[in-house]
Amino acid sequence: MREARDVFFVDGVRTPFGKAGPKGQYWRTRADDLGVKAVRELLRRNPQIPVERIGDVAFAATAQVGDQGLTLGRDVALLAGLPESVPGFAVDRMCAGALTAVTAAAGEIALGAVDVAIAGGVEHMGHHAMGEEVEFNPRYLSERLIDESAAVMGNTAENLHDLFPAITKERADAFAVQSQQRATAAWENGVMRETVVPLTVFSDDGWKLAERDEFLRPETTMDALAQLKPAFRPGGRVTAGNSAGLTDGATASFLAAEGTVEELGLQPKLRLVAFAYAGVAPHLMGLGPVPATKRVLEQAGIALEDVDLFELNEPFAVQVLTWCDELGISADDPRLNPYGGAIACGHPLAATGVRLISQLAYGLRERGGRYGLTALCIGMGMGCAILWENVR
Amino acid sequence: MADTVFKLNAAGRIALVTIDNGEDYRKPTTLGRSAFESAVGVLEQLENGDWEAAVFTGKPFVFCVGADIDELGNVQDPREGIHAGHELFGRIRALPFPTVAAINGAALGGGLELALHCTARTLANNVRHIGFPEVALSIIPGWGGTQLLPKLIGPEAAAKVIVLNPLRQNKLLKAEEAFELGIVDTLLDPVEFLDESLAFARELALERKPPDWSDVEAVLRKARSRVDDAVHGATRAPYVALDLIAGAQHWTIDEGYAAEEDAMAELLVSPQAQASAYAFTVVERRSKKPPALPDAKPRRVGKVGIVGAGLMATQIAALFVKRLEVPVVLRDIDQSRLDEALQTIRGEVSERKPFLATLVDGGTGWDQFAGCDLVLEAVFEQLDVKREVFAAVREIAPEAILMTNTSSLSVEEMGADVGLHFFNPVALMPLVEVVRHGGTSDEVLSTAWDTVRRLRKRGVIVGDSPGFVVNRVLTRVSRVLMDALENGNTAEETDEAMLALGMPMAPSVLLQMVGPRVALHVLETMHAAYPDRFPLSPALEQIANGEEPAATGDNRRTPEEIRRAVLEAAADEIRHMLDEGVVGDPADVDACLILGAGYPFFLGGITKHLEQTGIADFGKIPA
Repeated sequence: MREARDVFFVDGVRTPFGKAGPKGQYWRTRADDLGVKAVRELLRRNPQIPVERIGDVAFAATAQVGDQGLTLGRDVALLAGLPESVPGFAVDRMCAGALTAVTAAAGEIALGAVDVAIAGGVEHMGHHAMGEEVEFNPRYLSERLIDESAAVMGNTAENLHDLFPAITKERADAFAVQSQQRATAAWENGVMRETVVPLTVFSDDGWKLAERDEFLRPETTMDALAQLKPAFRPGGRVTAGNSAGLTDGATASFLAAEGTVEELGLQPKLRLVAFAYAGVAPHLMGLGPVPATKRVLEQAGIALEDVDLFELNEPFAVQVLTWCDELGISADDPRLNPYGGAIACGHPLAATGVRLISQLAYGLRERGGRYGLTALCIGMGMGCAILWENVR
Repeated sequence: MADTVFKLNAAGRIALVTIDNGEDYRKPTTLGRSAFESAVGVLEQLENGDWEAAVFTGKPFVFCVGADIDELGNVQDPREGIHAGHELFGRIRALPFPTVAAINGAALGGGLELALHCTARTLANNVRHIGFPEVALSIIPGWGGTQLLPKLIGPEAAAKVIVLNPLRQNKLLKAEEAFELGIVDTLLDPVEFLDESLAFARELALERKPPDWSDVEAVLRKARSRVDDAVHGATRAPYVALDLIAGAQHWTIDEGYAAEEDAMAELLVSPQAQASAYAFTVVERRSKKPPALPDAKPRRVGKVGIVGAGLMATQIAALFVKRLEVPVVLRDIDQSRLDEALQTIRGEVSERKPFLATLVDGGTGWDQFAGCDLVLEAVFEQLDVKREVFAAVREIAPEAILMTNTSSLSVEEMGADVGLHFFNPVALMPLVEVVRHGGTSDEVLSTAWDTVRRLRKRGVIVGDSPGFVVNRVLTRVSRVLMDALENGNTAEETDEAMLALGMPMAPSVLLQMVGPRVALHVLETMHAAYPDRFPLSPALEQIANGEEPAATGDNRRTPEEIRRAVLEAAADEIRHMLDEGVVGDPADVDACLILGAGYPFFLGGITKHLEQTGIADFGKIPA
């Protein structure tokens, strides 16, 4: 077997995240234009990378139609002004789109197919409702291949509450408050300045500057969350307050090969140590990160205690709490989501992965530490976990 | 149209102002009364806020295209609108922090003037419409344009932008040209245009060369003589604009504003400006969707036949190939003429898209017309020849719509379904007279109209009578000039008679361009139809034979008298055309003359001028 090359995460950036829908800041902005903005900011921040050295552009979206439909990697590359010689492709693994773009591009780099790649994702959930133009095969139900609750992510979250009665609504709400507080603090310190690029967007009220995540609610309290009605099921525990809202946003990152890093004089932030995807029952999709995390640690031969930072997606508080309980990490552990998470910033499905990595890189540098983990649950019952090493 | 609103948002301590009418790019943003009211509200917030800078920009693809033409025509108090603009824009200029116009799309007239009142300007490098069309409408850019532009870029460039370009078919500037002239401070890529404009505003640092006034007199003298060549003194606006540009060298901005107000008070109520506003409406609105256009769905045109391979046929065939991108087949009895035509067409159409050359073919027989959806003849102007042509085409392509490019023969009598009368040179002349007769079906007329649109020409629907509109009026006019020559006037005098109206070309030059033989042939056709009004002309025959026209009468007249006779004849002919129903409205005659004969806006084609001078009263309320 030939030797694989090491892959480095050089830099990552995202747009501010917006609320999906006519009142959201990106309602009149195209999805691919959000991706273009992220890519161009990435290029601007990394001038030492000659654009013609970019070997591929992997770009993810869950809804691959409309303004996300034109083989996004190529579409975004051309619109961002990359040379025509730079190819691109589109990626879909639902919520793990951007992480899959990263691991796919990393594979190309490791095998020596390319030296530098861009990986990112976009989701304009205002323009594309979840499940848009999806037709479920009737066999799923007629043969009971999946439980029908698997089709609605909120219901899969309720299923987790059912399965783990110890995870109460109060615990979920408490985690949500913590996420909002940590995100609020993160906007005060440098992490958002380093990883978020503001942009002007057109709206019915004229051009505006989009510079903040619209879901951020610094004033969130337990009392206020207690008042919210369940969103998916009568008597349910999942509310708009302890889950991530429907979001628009885009992310992009630079990956580069060992050797190329030295050649171009880059200062990468992370080295990719290992990654794993795992499957679970589709109606319990939130469990996915648990086997994925165990597998990636096993692969790398690293103990959980050796990991200094965790960036977990937060589509639902219960999903994170499940992972915490299963792995024995306290929900208020300072190593877990130190800058808050999707409950406070939103979760533009296929874009989220690169946000996790960018914040992980910042966190490892700011707090010191060697290993970090990004993990994410995926619709239809999957999970993804990537283990990184701080190289700064 | 929706009202234009100035919309203010804060981007940090930068005020971001969007000029927006809430429509998409197909309805560009204009500045009318309501826009001004909204702008005043925003200005109060700018004047009273703690701002670091302000950036003015437009909705996507459009910055602002200036005053609302509909409100311009309504001039109860011409000073008021001008003064309101000065006051508003003056307040923008007086803001105590830097202002940047981020020109993201078309910036015309008042839109460009707003931008000139800002401290600096950024421009997206894909913008193609920057300029001052006012002089083409016989007014001036009177919201500070005549003052701030020369103060910024000097008199020579300002005269070009404000005066000379509008007289050259209203030529507008592309981004690169606007930057080179110094109108804007930086060109930016469109992709992040506004983001980069905000950054530009934050770090505003200007390096501008002061304009060069050293040669101002010579520069303006030269410009004035070019204006003379174009309009021969027939409209005041370009001359007034040059005087205002000259004044800008020494005047303060307030003195300049005052001079603009005086000038506009005079110009806005002038017959030329009124006629121009009318002509604009006729050309830009009425003739784009004429009342005579039927509702029928146009037929799909997948293959085109052209009969003939002469000069017009060659040009028309090339246009069809380039614009429709469908197979085009030609037919001529002369193989060598056909070969030459095919070579010319293939050469021309393949310049940008090589595959287009493969779409053209031809032969001396008729077989190639099989399967044509549309066949247009452009052969010799003889009725029997054309009849034979259409009989042969019907045989091989029974479903095809038959069209003729005849300039004066009866479309119906020759057996064509509809006429498409192009003007020479085809590539440059926008007009196509779409000739319908009693047997023209709605579907055929719709297809003809749609074809003209896809050829990117301007159609006017006219009736099937000799000479249609343009040739009929021009021949009647020309007959008066020939009459003058026959009575001892010189060609210089007849030229002077017409040029003083502001015609773009002297009639003697025009005659040579059209070809005296062609003109004679048209006159003969017109004579056959209307012998009283179109008597045969010995002078024209002599010119056609390459001889000097000889005077046979002695009723020599002054150029003024000739001009009066020309206008009276034109009025008389137009009256006949209206009575016969050749066109439904005098506006159609004007559209034809403006688009097909280059008649100036400031005459309103011609009927507005005829009414203004009391020569005619067509009794119609102008469109």
